[in-house]
Amino acid sequence: MTVSKLKESHKLLAEYKYVPAKVDKGYTNKSLYVNLSGNKIKAKEVTAMMKEKFIGGRGFGLWYLWNAVTPQTKWNDPENEIIISPGPVAGITQYPGAGKSLVVTLSPNTQTVVDSNVGGYFGPLLKFSGWDALEVQGKAENDVVIFIDGSEGVVRVEEAPEEAVDSHLLAEQLTELYADCEEDKRNISVVSAGTAADNTMLGMLNFSFYDPRRKTVRLKQAGRGGIGTVLRDKKIKGIVVKFKGLKGNLNNPADFAKIVNTGVKLHKEINRLDDYQNRMRHNGTTFLAGIMNDYDLLPTCNFKFGSHPEGEKIAAPNWVKMFDAGKADGCWYGCTLACSKVVCGFELKTGPYKGQKVVVDGPEYETIAGVGSNCGIFDRDYILECNFYCDTYGIDTISFGTTTAFIMECYENGIINKEITGGLELNFGSKEAAMELLHQMARGEGFGKIAGLGIKRLKEIFVREYGADAGFLNDIGMEAKGLEYAEYVSKESLVQQAGFGLANKGPQHDEAWLIFMDMVNNQLPTFEDKAEALHYFPMFRTWLGLVGLCKLPWNDIVPESNKDTEEPAKIIEHVQNYVDLFNAVTGQNIDIDGMIRQSEGVYQFQRVFNLRMGFGTREYDKVPYRSMGPVTVEEYQSRQERYDGQLKELLGIDPEGKSTEEKIKLLRKYREEQYEKITDAVYERRGWTKNGVPKLETLQKFGMDFPELVELVKQHQ
Amino acid sequence: MIKVNGREFPWEEGLTVKKLLQKKNYTFPSIVVKINDRTIAEDEYADALIEDGDDVKVIHLITGG
Amino acid sequence: MKKLVKNEKLCTACGACQRICSQTYFKEDNKEKSAIGIKAEDSGTTIIACSQCGECIDLCPAEAIYRDQKGVVRIKNSICVGCFSCVGFCPEGAMFYHGDYTEPFKCTACGLCVKECPSGAITIQG
Repeated sequence: MTVSKLKESHKLLAEYKYVPAKVDKGYTNKSLYVNLSGNKIKAKEVTAMMKEKFIGGRGFGLWYLWNAVTPQTKWNDPENEIIISPGPVAGITQYPGAGKSLVVTLSPNTQTVVDSNVGGYFGPLLKFSGWDALEVQGKAENDVVIFIDGSEGVVRVEEAPEEAVDSHLLAEQLTELYADCEEDKRNISVVSAGTAADNTMLGMLNFSFYDPRRKTVRLKQAGRGGIGTVLRDKKIKGIVVKFKGLKGNLNNPADFAKIVNTGVKLHKEINRLDDYQNRMRHNGTTFLAGIMNDYDLLPTCNFKFGSHPEGEKIAAPNWVKMFDAGKADGCWYGCTLACSKVVCGFELKTGPYKGQKVVVDGPEYETIAGVGSNCGIFDRDYILECNFYCDTYGIDTISFGTTTAFIMECYENGIINKEITGGLELNFGSKEAAMELLHQMARGEGFGKIAGLGIKRLKEIFVREYGADAGFLNDIGMEAKGLEYAEYVSKESLVQQAGFGLANKGPQHDEAWLIFMDMVNNQLPTFEDKAEALHYFPMFRTWLGLVGLCKLPWNDIVPESNKDTEEPAKIIEHVQNYVDLFNAVTGQNIDIDGMIRQSEGVYQFQRVFNLRMGFGTREYDKVPYRSMGPVTVEEYQSRQERYDGQLKELLGIDPEGKSTEEKIKLLRKYREEQYEKITDAVYERRGWTKNGVPKLETLQKFGMDFPELVELVKQHQ
Repeated sequence: MIKVNGREFPWEEGLTVKKLLQKKNYTFPSIVVKINDRTIAEDEYADALIEDGDDVKVIHLITGG
Repeated sequence: MKKLVKNEKLCTACGACQRICSQTYFKEDNKEKSAIGIKAEDSGTTIIACSQCGECIDLCPAEAIYRDQKGVVRIKNSICVGCFSCVGFCPEGAMFYHGDYTEPFKCTACGLCVKECPSGAITIQG
């Protein structure tokens, strides 16, 4: 269908004209509210309180969502919202990694609040269109597109019956449809999901940007927490923003020269050092695959193992050969770390688009490990095909990978069989079956429909329907709080086990990735050290999501002088850069302590939000034993020397003459005790009770003593 | 015996930083190596000898995936 | 390809080139706003100016840098988004910027400075 035909089929449901607010020191001080039940559109004030306590980005999302829902609200109730907010620093073009959007909603996976961060142009263009945040509530009757035109000052809700749902088609169609000409396409960004988001709980959001050199729409993902499923439940096909006239000073910052100087300093550092460090400009994030395999951290066969003899096949050098690498591969202007790699002209072998040559964004490390090694698959073409289909179907590669790995282990253990899977032979390494499972998820058919519920619900079904041993499934099902694990083996790092387990939204590594500091460097010997790291790093990394920055330019490039600093892991020069950027944009005058304090308030708020939704206490911080140690004899024996050594050194137990089962039990007891101890230490450091609830004085300390929060935590003191 | 990041590791005659990194399979590019608190430059790895009893630190500069 | 060629041995670091450059393009006598740089050190004088190598062209995310018919690398200010990636990656360090402006600036081999140079240290080739 031609674009003009698509356009003709649109039916205007609501229109709202506005004069775009000028950005003042990083904020427009307005947010856009759209309710699809009844098609109401209005502007809201962003208050001084919001800016002071919630800063922006994830903070604004949490605040708006808190006010939109009640403790009874479910993810698919009309009251649930999707909030997208870029943060005050987002949209500067001078410092790498400054185009992030943060998305917040009630998650179908965790049943409570979730946040996910994403690149692409949407957040900055939304802000320059006059909005610090977009809040979408309600449900449409038929598929709609929300169109925000920041140059014309108009917002429309349009019924859009004819466009594709799958993102690689839809994002192209909508870009084409709303752009005036080829040159105008860069001014457009589309948020969309796909057909698997219609039929699974694992849906994600694609955020687009137009790549003028390759003349194609590129996609970045807000992957975690099933937000794409919420988008489609609201019958939103796409959210489109259009803004013309981008310049480097549209944030109207307090000190432009300071931003420029800080940016140029990092550009030069990357130019000088990236070739000798992670080679992000060449590898993207694929460099991690080989490294993780070398350090026994690459999830293999549902996190049983951390490396594989075939691991080399999916290491960076092999991907680099396939990339159509450019020198400007950023997902927002000015990102010279340029990790948004792409494979062009990839011919699909399966599915509805079989035989077509497509552009594949990525693969990222998490995708390689998730759909690849963790499923026992080391075939690059499979990984690319799976990456493409996950993206266009709007499904999170991490949740798809971890869920499929779990299913494969269940299949190999006879918990499920061919009859149950409808003929799919889902052994580790069965790439054809895994691909078909993905297509079934998109079609909402067969075993794919069940698999798309995610691990937490699958465990319940396998126990209820097929008499599986609940204990075993809880040990090997790599989810916590309902969210599937991100792709790192945490068995040998207690700090990382807790980093995953105590993360607010579930086991995603964007709060803390401390495996090397703990396991390899041995820099965190005491529980106090561990708790301190699990305080500082999550708070620091949360902050990036309040202001709209990417984590990668923090530590995927390291200045020469860093090795001589007191705490090299913090990369303090880059942290100071961030403080300088925040002050230069907003005109405020915070220091590093102030930065951590900003995060801490929002972090406490999010913890109480979990409590409000019926979670957020100690029992929800439990993790599957697979994330802590060897569950099976096979796992123990594969690293017997290591585990026997630990029994001897840490427990003073002679492993001689003991059966593997006995040794597993002894090791498990020790490790589970360690996890409880670190939980205590972290709760203490974060100002929480033994049950993981923020103490009243903690809320007061961070100015989060709103009456509703106080009332709530009082019941749990 | 030597110590590597505070944990015991067997020493052998002629052990250099380069050999140690190979034995430990430490392939990560951004590291800082110290022998008894003295920083070793990358171009010295092949020649820098480690003595029996030395305290070696190989600090990996990564705190984020 | 038209470009500025330098003979640093002849340079006296008088700054005449920088004066005319900043005056012409920014109406101000300010060497921080000149597209030619002079570094005078005991070991000798270094002249920093664009060699028109074009490394910055593919680096620009906005496709705002191009080579004109004479081979001179130019910035289209109207679509430049002011990210200054080009500044950080210029092999010559010859892409300049100033906090007063949202775009970088560079030598376009206009030759005005050559006329001002009293020692013949700079010439225009091509």
